[in-house]
Amino acid sequence: MKRTVGVGAMTILLCTGCSSMGVEPWERDVLAKQEMQLTTDEIEAATDDHIYFSKEASSGGRGFGGGGCGCN
Amino acid sequence: MSQKETHSISVALAAATCTLLGSGISATVDAQEEPAWDFNTSLLYYGEDGDRVKDFSVSAIARRMFIDDRYLTLGLTIDGLTGATPSGAIRQDVAQTFTRPSGNAAYSVAAGVLPLDDTFKDTRLALTAGWQQPVGDTSQVSVGASASKEYDYLHLGVNAKFARDFNQRNTTVSAGIALSMDSLDPVGGAPAPFSPMLDVGDTSNRLGDQDKDVLDIVLGVSQVISRDLVVQANYSYSKSDGYLTDPYKVLSLVDGTSGDTLLRSIAPGVDGPSHQFLFESRPGERTKHSIFGQAKYYMNGKVLDASYRYMSDDWEIDSHTVDLRYRIPFGANRYLEPHLRFYTQTDAEFYRLSIPDSLPLPGHASADYRLGNFDAITAGLKYGWRTRNDNEMSVRIEGYRQTGSVPADQLIGNQVSRDNFPDLNAIIVQFGYRF
Repeated sequence: MKRTVGVGAMTILLCTGCSSMGVEPWERDVLAKQEMQLTTDEIEAATDDHIYFSKEASSGGRGFGGGGCGCN
Repeated sequence: MSQKETHSISVALAAATCTLLGSGISATVDAQEEPAWDFNTSLLYYGEDGDRVKDFSVSAIARRMFIDDRYLTLGLTIDGLTGATPSGAIRQDVAQTFTRPSGNAAYSVAAGVLPLDDTFKDTRLALTAGWQQPVGDTSQVSVGASASKEYDYLHLGVNAKFARDFNQRNTTVSAGIALSMDSLDPVGGAPAPFSPMLDVGDTSNRLGDQDKDVLDIVLGVSQVISRDLVVQANYSYSKSDGYLTDPYKVLSLVDGTSGDTLLRSIAPGVDGPSHQFLFESRPGERTKHSIFGQAKYYMNGKVLDASYRYMSDDWEIDSHTVDLRYRIPFGANRYLEPHLRFYTQTDAEFYRLSIPDSLPLPGHASADYRLGNFDAITAGLKYGWRTRNDNEMSVRIEGYRQTGSVPADQLIGNQVSRDNFPDLNAIIVQFGYRF
């Protein structure tokens, strides 16, 4: 019970915190730029994921890290 | 000036700004008037030093916008792979002979040379399709499918993602799931785990086709902090089941005192391995957990993109990845983007350089260097520019270097003085064109 209340309180705190952050809709000029998107170049990101999936024991994080290749 | 007038001026200024900057709002308006295709294409060369892996790859992503912010995305990648890859066997002071994975021929490796399997040659075709659309005013849903085919491997996958915006779209919470159903049909058949490498023509240790299933779940939140800063955090869960062993990797069976690979007797007139090698064996399950964080910060036109990932799995591999990109614009339409990536991982609990004959066989073992203890660094530079037709071109050149070590408690006898970890140097060259 205590734990549920704690998690609930944390969630409300986080949401309240988030709601005070951010910008108004007309302040999104910079955020709307292509270079400010979280993934700027999908092909480059997919290429890197594929290379490192083939050569290292980790994958994913940014997105799905599953199979799709016999290289590992 | 009344409050209402101030507000309408703000809105008008915002609309004008968005129009001038070609941002999301104007793009959406254009899209609704003229549905059109956008293409993002690339040519890639990935080359490792020595005679190791080379990959030439062509990729294209086509996106068609429909009215009401709906998108269809289609992707295609063709890879042509050649070169040699470490087989898992250790160096010896004498020449070594191996049976090829097909079981149809043998090849030899000179004394003192790291054994590479030079039969690695494949063409891979990968296709993806996705559909994304809004649900109500604040949510988005996307569904997708993927398939890829190599000579010895077939992947089929489906995925779905749901995202919801809060706080005037400053906070986005998302959840995604992906399922992969992969089939392996290794050249010559998948070898039974820990079975010995046999003479040419003897395929009695080969199993039939094998399967591997992967479930991925990604939970994420992205948050606009200020006009110049956006961050995101993801938690990923990945569960793999099935044949997770690499059917082409072996381990050397060594003398428990000298550390040298045991010799093998071959009947006269028969081709076969000169030494004793065992095919590797990995657990049939793997569960990975990852935490990923990313920040993008705009500084007077320059953009810093910093991310960090921590991964931990039940094979006892832990890894840390830091990725930094810094985009520096110059002139009206050009930019340079240096890139640095640092990676480090610990070895899997069943990683072994070799198997000593003096001890009982472990439950699982692999000498695959990718499950070993290593660090990697990537350093590169990207140059991008906008063409006269308002399309985008880019070229990036990067170097990738892996350096690793075998835990000292695994080294036996003569292995101590040998170079046991196959360090790797690779170059990545990629051309991109968006139109």
